[in-house]
Amino acid sequence: MRAAVSIDQPRVDDDLLARIAAGSQSALSELIARHGRGLRMFAARYLGNAGDAEDVVQEVFVTVWKQAARFDPAKGRASTWLYRITANRCIDQRRRRALRGFIGLDDIRDEVASPEADAEATTAARQELAIVRDGLSRLPERQRMAVLLRAVGDLDIAAIAEVMGSSVGSAEQLLVRGRRALRDHLAMAAAGRGRESS
Amino acid sequence: MTRDEFERCRRRFGDTVEAWPAPFRQQALALMAQEQNDDPDAALDRLVLEAAQADGDDHALARKVLARIDAGSARPFFLWRPLLSPAGLAACTAAALVAATLAGYQVARLQDDPADTELLALASGSSLADAGGVVADPEGEGSL
Repeated sequence: MRAAVSIDQPRVDDDLLARIAAGSQSALSELIARHGRGLRMFAARYLGNAGDAEDVVQEVFVTVWKQAARFDPAKGRASTWLYRITANRCIDQRRRRALRGFIGLDDIRDEVASPEADAEATTAARQELAIVRDGLSRLPERQRMAVLLRAVGDLDIAAIAEVMGSSVGSAEQLLVRGRRALRDHLAMAAAGRGRESS
Repeated sequence: MTRDEFERCRRRFGDTVEAWPAPFRQQALALMAQEQNDDPDAALDRLVLEAAQADGDDHALARKVLARIDAGSARPFFLWRPLLSPAGLAACTAAALVAATLAGYQVARLQDDPADTELLALASGSSLADAGGVVADPEGEGSL
């Protein structure tokens, strides 16, 4: 439903990618202005680290610059292509992190939510968002990816399946399970708060 | 407007709801808004979207990307990024191991290549002459 309203959006992105393929840096800047924010939000929440997300999104747009000519509008939407590149880069980045953590060069922790956690506890609404972030960080990686692709990327199930390289059925399962786990987490947190207040 | 009526209108007027004629347009938008409110998945998606909000400067991002593109074009080939990733390093190590194994087999094969006379001696149970060749078995030992 939501995608049906913005029918001109893919065409704009297709035109921008065609111009990028022809070497237009202004088109790249425009594409970054359109999708940079969404991709950064997706990467930051998937990786749990704003710095890594920034690196990943920069890499994504460098890849777009180099490979824009390979994009075929007949095969899918530009946004799906962008999120696919971002998802792959995020998985690579996560593996690098895990390896560095394994050999003791890094400690892996959520570096997006933690700085604001105390300030957010001041209001109920912000506290709920902090709980959602916490719930997201606890989801299995593929469920988290599916939930974020839906909520942040506004991708439908078919596009999520394409980004994740899975069947439509398994993408739907991941989304359903991720949402259920997130709801359970929210319900548990609400129950905990209810006990504290009583 | 019901969902069936909405689908009929979509077939009739196209996907862009904003371009539908009144009063279908308002009814469709009202239905969409109502479905969004009634749909718990959509409500959760909105919550996730709000929770995922992060500060960031798109202009700064564009500047950094363009700087990386400019720097990347001057980067020497031997610093190819995939080779520096864990997967690249693992692939290089595996390739080096395979190459070393093959080279080892090749060298050993050249050193140990048995001559026809040695194989013949081994098969017949005879000993080898100092100058090469097979020494005759005087008592028929080892003959079949």
